[in-house]
Amino acid sequence: MKKFILRRLLLGVIVMLGVAFITFFLTRVIPSDPAAKWVGPRATPEQIAKATIDLGLDQPLYVQFFKYMGDLLQGNLGASLRTRRPIMLELQENLPATIELVFISTIAAVFLGIPLGVISARRKDQWVDHLSRLFSVGVVSLPTFWVGLILQLLFFRTLHLFPMGGQLSTEIKLTMEIPKITGFLMFDSLVTGNFRIFTDALWHIVLPGITIGLYPVGLVARMTRSALLEILNEDYITAARSYGLSERIVLWSYALKNSIGSTSTVVALSIGYTLVNTFLTESIFSWPGIGSYIASAVIGLDYPAIMGVTIFSAFSYVILNLVADVIIAMDPRVRA
Amino acid sequence: MQWLMDTRKTLQPGLREVRLSFYLLNRNRLQRASLTIIILLILVAIFAPVIAPYPGHAISETNPDDKLQPPSAQYWFGTDELGRDMLSRVIYGTRISLQTALIAVGLALLVGVPLGAIAGGLGGVVDEIIMRITDVFLSFPPLLLAIAIAAFLGPNLRNAMLAIAISWWPWYTRIIRGQAVSIRERQFVRAARAIGTPRSSIIFKHILPNTFAPVIVQASMDIGGVILTIASLSFLGLGAQPPTPEWGLLISTSRTYFLNAWWYSTFPGLAIFITVLVFNLIGDGFREVLDPKTRKF
Amino acid sequence: MTEYFEIKNLAVGFHTFEGVRDVLRIESLRIKRGETYGLVGESGAGKTVLALTILGLLPKPAAIVHSGEIWLDGQDLLKKTDRQMYTQYRGKRITMIFQDPMSTLNPVFTVGQQLARVIEAQQHLKGQANTQKALEMLEIVKLPDAGRMLEKYPHELSGGQRQRIIIAIALTCGAEFLIADEPTRNLDVTIQAGILKLMDELQQEFKMSMLFIANNVGLVNVVCKNAGILYRGKLVEDGPSEKVIRRARHPYTQTLISAIPRDKSEALKFANTVIKPDAEHGCPYYARCTLAEDACAASEPMLEAVDGAQKVACFVAARRQP
Repeated sequence: MKKFILRRLLLGVIVMLGVAFITFFLTRVIPSDPAAKWVGPRATPEQIAKATIDLGLDQPLYVQFFKYMGDLLQGNLGASLRTRRPIMLELQENLPATIELVFISTIAAVFLGIPLGVISARRKDQWVDHLSRLFSVGVVSLPTFWVGLILQLLFFRTLHLFPMGGQLSTEIKLTMEIPKITGFLMFDSLVTGNFRIFTDALWHIVLPGITIGLYPVGLVARMTRSALLEILNEDYITAARSYGLSERIVLWSYALKNSIGSTSTVVALSIGYTLVNTFLTESIFSWPGIGSYIASAVIGLDYPAIMGVTIFSAFSYVILNLVADVIIAMDPRVRA
Repeated sequence: MQWLMDTRKTLQPGLREVRLSFYLLNRNRLQRASLTIIILLILVAIFAPVIAPYPGHAISETNPDDKLQPPSAQYWFGTDELGRDMLSRVIYGTRISLQTALIAVGLALLVGVPLGAIAGGLGGVVDEIIMRITDVFLSFPPLLLAIAIAAFLGPNLRNAMLAIAISWWPWYTRIIRGQAVSIRERQFVRAARAIGTPRSSIIFKHILPNTFAPVIVQASMDIGGVILTIASLSFLGLGAQPPTPEWGLLISTSRTYFLNAWWYSTFPGLAIFITVLVFNLIGDGFREVLDPKTRKF
Repeated sequence: MTEYFEIKNLAVGFHTFEGVRDVLRIESLRIKRGETYGLVGESGAGKTVLALTILGLLPKPAAIVHSGEIWLDGQDLLKKTDRQMYTQYRGKRITMIFQDPMSTLNPVFTVGQQLARVIEAQQHLKGQANTQKALEMLEIVKLPDAGRMLEKYPHELSGGQRQRIIIAIALTCGAEFLIADEPTRNLDVTIQAGILKLMDELQQEFKMSMLFIANNVGLVNVVCKNAGILYRGKLVEDGPSEKVIRRARHPYTQTLISAIPRDKSEALKFANTVIKPDAEHGCPYYARCTLAEDACAASEPMLEAVDGAQKVACFVAARRQP
C-alpha cells in the first residue's frame, strides 16, 4: 500500500509540474506581448516595462520558468490588476464562501446520489430506475447558470420564499456583529450561538445550494449505478444471496464496499465539477466566493487573477484525486 | 464530457455493433424521440433563415417599438431589450451551437486520434510521454482549462472552440490508445509486423481504420457536453460576443432584465437543456446497448 | 405424490439478440432425501442455470422461466415469491457451493467477516458465540490455524483453502439441500481429492441431500448414487450412476465417457465424426450424433425407461434393449 501511495504522490507531483508548465505556457509564451497582457489594457508604458522586469521576460524562457516556479512555491500568484492586492490574499478571503457551497453539494452528492444509484441498480429497468436515470441525465444536461436564474424567478420573484442572493440579509449585516473565527459563516455563527445569523445564512444558501448541488447528485447517482451493476453480476453477490443474506447486507455492504474505488473517484470528480460550476453561478447569487471573483476577473480582463484561480483550482483538484487514490489504496486487493 | 468517463473504459464496439445499436436505439421510445429531436434540431440549424419569423433580428436589426414584449402571437418567445424577436434569435442560436460544437469536436479529434494511434501503435517511451501529457491535461477540473485558455486567447467564439478542442483532445487520445493497444495484439497486425510492414503503415493502415467505430460513437456522445461548455464560456463572456445570438450569451445578457421578463432567460435556457439532453440520452442509450454488462440480454 | 426433490417439465430461456433462446428443458429429475445426485454436462449445458433456477436467483429480466415445477419437500419453489425464497429457503433449507473459489468470496471482506455475516443471519449468533461458531466451522472443513485464517482476505489464500472456506460458509447455513456446482473444477487434482472426500464425509455427517454438478463423469461415479447427463439444457440420460456410466445408452454419454482416451485409436475415434447442421425441432444432439436417423431430426426424443431405473432420451438407444 505504501508503495502504491508513494507512486501516486510522485505522479501527483509530476502532474502538478505539468499543470504549472501549461499555465506558464499560457501566460508567458502564447500572448504576443505577455507583459502588456499581464498588466491589462489600460496600463502605461512604464507599467509594462516594470512588468517585463518583474516577470523576467527579458531573460531566456527557462530562467523565466524557474522564476515562475519559485513564485508558485512561495504562494506568490502576483497582484490583481483591479485591486493591486496579492491574489493569494484575495483567494483566501473568498475561499470560505465557496467551500461552504462545495461542501453542501458534496454532502448532497454522497447522501442522495449514492443511495439513488444503489436503488437504481437494484431495481434495474423498473420504473424507479427509469426515473432516477432520467433525473441523472436531466440534471447533467442543465446549464447550471440557467437553473440559478430560474430558481430566482420562481422562489424569489414569484413566491417570495427565498432571498435573491448574498450570504446574509442586509438588515442583519448592518445591525449585528458577524462572528469571524474560521471564516465559514455558518460554522462560526453556529458555534458562537448566533442562531439568527445561522438561520439567515441557511436561508440564503438554499437556492445557490440547490443550483450547485443538482449536478453532483446526478453524476454520482449514475456512476454509482453503473459501478454497482457490474458488481451485482459478480459471483460473490449471487453467493451471498444463496446463503440467505438479506438484500440490505448484499447491497449496502457487500456490493457498495466493492464500489468504493469508483465511488471515491467520482466524488472527487464531482467536487472538481462543483468548484468550476461555482464560477458560473456564484455571481448570479452575489455569493462572495472565488466563483464571483473569477467571473469579475474575466469581465475586468484581470489576467493574473484568472490565472491565480486556475492554478489554485487545478492544484486542489489534483490533491482531491490523490485523496481518492489513498481511499482506493485501502482496498485489501490493492493493499497487498 | 467527463461524466461519461465510465464509458471510455468499457466501450470498444466494432462497426457491426454500432449499426446494430442504432437499430436497438430505435426500439426504445425515449431514444427514438431523442433521435427525432436531433434531426429536427439539425434541420432548424440548416434552415434557420427560412424558419425564423424575423431573420433580421438574429444579428443587428433592432425594433425599439417592441422592447421586452412578453410572448404573444406575433413574438412567440417574446422580445429582448432591443425589441428583437427571441424566437428568431434562439433559432439562429441552434445553428451557432451545433456548428461550433461540431468544429470543436472535429478539432479535438484531429489532434487526439493520431496521437492516440501513435501512442498505442508504437508503445514504449513515445506512449509513455504522450500518455503523461494527457494526464496533465486531464488533471484540470473539467471546463477550467477551457476557461483559462479562452481568457488568454481573447474572448471570441473562434477562440472558445479552440479552447474546448485543446482541453478535449486527451479524451480521444486515451480511447484510441486503448483501442490501438488491443488491435496491435491481434493476429492480423502481428502478421503484418512479422512480414516487415513499416510501423507507420501499421498505424495508419491497420490500426486507425479499426478505431473509427468507437471514436464516432464517443464523439457523438460528447456533442451535448461540448454545447453546454460553449454556452458556459459565452455566459462568462469568454465565447460569443454581442450581438451574436448564442444561447449562453443570450442568458448572460438577460440577467439585467429577467426578473421582469421571464421569457428572456427561459427560452434560450430551455433550448440548451433540450439540445444537451437529447444528445446525452442518445449517448446513454449507446452505452447501454454497447456495454455487454448493462445490455438487457 | 412427489419425491423429496423433483423437477417436472422445467423450461428456462434467455433473451438474446436473436430473441428468446431456450437454455434448459428438463422433463424430470428426482432426488431422494439424503441422496446425492450427480449432474454431468459440458460447459454451457445449463448446469449453473439450473442451480440458480432452484435458488430463484436467475438474472432478471434476462432469464425467463417458461414453465415447470421444482418441488422441495412438498412445496413448489417456482410458485414462491422472492421474499418467500429469501425468508424460508435461501440459506435456510437450500444453499449452494459455487464453482469458482476465486470469485465466490467477497474480495474486500475478511474470511471472518464473511463467515460472521452468514452465522448471524442463519444461526442468530452474535459476538463471542459467533466467533466460536466460525472457528468451529473452519475446523470442520479441516483448515488448520483457524484463528489466523479469520483475519485473512480471500486473495491471501490458496485455491484449496478458499474452496474449504466456501464449503464452511455453505455448511454454516445448516441447509438440508445443498447444490454443489463443480466444487473442484478450478483446483489441482491432488487438492480435488481432498475436497471431494471432505464433502462426502460432511454430507453423511450433516445428512444433507445434494445436487452435485460436474463436468467430469469420473467424479460422479465416486460421489453419487444417481446421475443424469445434461446436453444443451436437456436431460438426455438419467439413472443409477453405476448404470449411467458403466452401461451408458445415450450416444452423448458414451462420447463423454470415452472422452478419456486409453490409447491412440480410441483418442482418434471421433476424429471423423461428420458435424451435421442443427435440427431445429429434433434431438439437440442430432448435429454431432453418429447414430442419428431421419426421425431424430424430425422430433425430439423424450426420456424413456430402458433398464429399470435407467432412462434415456434417444430413439435409437431406446430401441436397442439389452
